[in-house]
This record gives sequence, structure tokens and C-alpha cells, in this order.
Amino acid sequence: MADQTTTQANDAAVVAGDTAAAGTIDAASGAGAAVAADGAAGDRPVKIVGIVCNWCSYAGADTAGTGRFKQPPNLRLIRVPCTGRVDPLFALKAFEKGADGVLISGCHPGDCHYSEGNYYARRKFELLERMIHHLGIPKERFRWTWVSASEGQRWQQVVTEFVAGVEKLGPREGRAL
Amino acid sequence: MSRQDHIREFAAQALADGRVDYFIGWKQGYNSSEVVPAFVKDPADVDQLIWTPLCHHNLVTFIKRNMPDPADAKIGLCVKGCDSRTLVALLQEELVDKEKLYVVGVPCDGIVDRRKLEKEFADELVDIAFPERGRVVVTTGKGETREFAQDDVLLDVCGRCRYPNALYADDVAGPLEAEPDREESGPDWSDIADFENLSDDEKQAALERVYATCIRCFACVHVCPVCVCWDKCVNRSREPELVAQKVGAKENLLFQMIHMFHVAGRCTSCGACDRACPVEIPLYLLHRKMNKEIYDMFGFEPGTKLDEKPVFQLFDLATDHFGD
Ligand code: SF4
Ligand code: SF4
Repeated sequence: MADQTTTQANDAAVVAGDTAAAGTIDAASGAGAAVAADGAAGDRPVKIVGIVCNWCSYAGADTAGTGRFKQPPNLRLIRVPCTGRVDPLFALKAFEKGADGVLISGCHPGDCHYSEGNYYARRKFELLERMIHHLGIPKERFRWTWVSASEGQRWQQVVTEFVAGVEKLGPREGRAL
Repeated sequence: MSRQDHIREFAAQALADGRVDYFIGWKQGYNSSEVVPAFVKDPADVDQLIWTPLCHHNLVTFIKRNMPDPADAKIGLCVKGCDSRTLVALLQEELVDKEKLYVVGVPCDGIVDRRKLEKEFADELVDIAFPERGRVVVTTGKGETREFAQDDVLLDVCGRCRYPNALYADDVAGPLEAEPDREESGPDWSDIADFENLSDDEKQAALERVYATCIRCFACVHVCPVCVCWDKCVNRSREPELVAQKVGAKENLLFQMIHMFHVAGRCTSCGACDRACPVEIPLYLLHRKMNKEIYDMFGFEPGTKLDEKPVFQLFDLATDHFGD
């Protein structure tokens, strides 16, 4: 199990695409893959890559943790400075590397730490989402949204819903991307 | 005076005046069934320049990112309507220097898809002639000759062309072609409808099948007029290895998706990548879909207005409601 966790961390590092981001990988969301998720189809828990901005959603996940809101343990978080830093490649690479779902989250429009990063980002995410569906990757496996630092509860809700959606479909195996 | 004569005259003049160091056009290839790009340096050589419905090459590829040799060369080139859009896309992002260019617009009534013709015959083609507008006469190595109507053997992109005349040019080779009523009807995306209507599983299976055959020759990115990173390409970076060297369907599809996202907002769906691919991967399924969605999201047609900025370099607080 330790091995599996390491592999996931390595995969996440590749997804992040640079060592600075790789250094910030954090299993903030739970105790690792050791806990089999309830109701997961297939024979392994689903693996989900979460790409979150440092200022809002990462802090929001922290708030959720501090508040001891129960969350599914399937998420691996990659912290990036801003959603504006998120290249669509990150999500596609995560799918290539075997992620069962990808969740991207950052500051609400208007709240970007760098004023306008998420304004550029949302245009890219919208296209990314449409293209991901075009590739035949079901809607339930990709989501992008906004969660602020104070929205621990919203973070819990987003993650719980997203993981439930991915679990319903089960692990992805032998796919084109 | 034919368009070909115009091109020769413009080229000779520009070379003689020293307005350009060389002129890029099209000339006959290894036989009269094929056309290749031509680089003319001497006004005495302009007679090799031709204009026929086989001139499919988008010559803008040769000037992308000011890559020509020498770096400060002044260059003349021919552009069809579709080619001009890729040039406008480069100009919008200041990726080429307008001052160093001399552009001859060539109004175009459709380019013939040589691959469609090849598939009609068992032998190689040795001659493709155009006795008059609309007629295509093909001769094979064994002497077989058949005639086609030009409209039946056009490139698929030409069937849906919205911009037959150059959108940016210093001179125009002859009278303009009739323009479709663009106000009346938007772009036609029917070519990707079949794929869009597949189920998720069928799409994945289809992509797996086609992308398994990609040999990662990179012809598609080399020929792409707006794929500009050139020697700094993420797809070929070995350190760090961002895209696996392994040639499998997954890796190939990821590579192609990167190509698509990197040209999003600049890609005009010119189709050069589809034509360059030696294993005939239907790349249009990706770039046409991308442009369809960009049109749907922003009403934006890449490379059509010189004073526009590409949509991914901007945002608009009043109209962007994505993710709300
Ligand atoms: S990706 Fe293909 S269709 Fe788009 S501009 Fe490049 S060569 Fe043309
Ligand atoms: S031209 Fe075709 S085979 Fe070559 S890298 Fe591009 S998609 Fe692959």
C-alpha cells in the first residue's frame, strides 16, 4: 500500500509538471488509499487528482480538515499558485497516467489572489471540459469549480459529490486517454 | 491575365525592387500530378511558379515565428483565403513581423484532394491536368486517364470554406472569388456530427483505434502554421519528460491534445495537419470540435480580424459566465 501511495505521488508530480509544484503535494484529503471506498466498482478504490489553488481551495480543504468534516479519502491534491497556472495538460496527463477523475478548483471569480488568473482560467477550463467529453471521458469524471478558503463545508460537499459520481462509474481501465 | 501570371508578375517585381529577399509560392513537384512549395530568389526564375487547384500547401508555415533563414530576411509569399487566416492569427499575436512580409492573396475556388484521387486508382498518378475551370483530368503511370468534376474531389475543408479570398494581402492575384453570405449562415460543423453522436465508449474505442497508428513523426506540428514553439516543444522535451516517449494510443492522443490546446484560438482548422499525416489520422475530429466549441463559447472565428486578440489571451467580465 505504501508503494501504491508513492506511485500516486510520483504521478501527481509528473502532472504538476514542475518541481516547485511537485514539492507541495499533500494528502490533505485523508489517510491515503488504504481505505477502500464504499461502493467502488471494480477491485480498487478510485484515484482522483485534485488540482487546487494555494489561496482558496487548498485553504478551503484545510478548513474542511480543521473542521473535521468527513470526506472520502480518494483525492490526491496538487497545490498550484493559481488556477491561471493550470495548463489543460495537467488534467489530460492525469487521465493518461490512470486517474479515474480530475477535479480542479480555485478562488471564486472576483477573489483571485492575483486579481485575474481565474478569469483566464475559466475560459480554458470550459474548453477543456468540452474537449474531455468529446474524447468520450464521461462528465462525472471531470469537474472544475470554485471553493474559497472559508468554504470548508462547500469543499466537503464538492468532494463528496464528485467522488460519489466517479465511484459510480468505477476505476477506468484500458482507455484511449 | 491568369492568377498564375499575376503571381509571377508580383513575384518578379518584388524581387527586382529588392522588396523581398525571396518569394515563396508553389511549383510542380516530381511530376505534373504533384505540387510542392517553391522558394524563388531570382526574378529570372519566377516562371517556375504556378497556380492550380493542387496548391494545397499553406506557405505561412514557412514564416511562422520569424523562423526563416536568415532571421531578418524580407519574404514574399502567396496565401489563399484559408492560409491568410493563419497569417492573421500569427499577426494578432505579433508572432511575425508585418514589415518584413510581402503578401500576395490568391482568390481560390477550391483545392483538389490528391489523396481522394490516389484512392481511385491502383497505380501512381503521373499527371493531373485542369483543362478548364471545374474539370480535373487524371493520368496514371499505366496510361489510364479519367476525368472528375472538381467539386467532387475537393478537400473537405474547401466544401465548407467561408473565406475564399485573402483577409490580409498587399496585392491580389486577379479578381476576387464569390464570398458566401457569412451573416446568413454560421460555420458548418456537420463533418464531426457522426463522431459527436457516438457513445462515450464508442468514442474511446474509435480514438484508441486511430491513435494507436500514430508514429509520432511530428509532421502535423511541423506543418501547422500556428504551432510556433518550434525547438522548445513540450512534446519533444526529454528532460523533463512531460510526454512519454512510448508510442501508444494514450501517449499519442495526449500529444495531439497538447497540440490542439496549444493552438486553441489560433488554429483555423486549415486542415494542413490532416493532409500531412502519413497514416491519415483524422485530426479534424479534434481541431474542428475545438473550433466549434470556441465559436459556441465566444462567437470567435480564429484569424479573421486583424485587430482582434485571440480569445484565450483575454477575458470579458460582462459576458464570461463559464462555471457560474
Ligand atoms: S492544428 Fe491543423 S488545422 Fe489547426 S492550424 Fe494547425 S495545421 Fe491547421
Ligand atoms: S502527422 Fe500523424 S503520424 Fe505523424 S505525429 Fe502527427 S498524428 Fe502522428
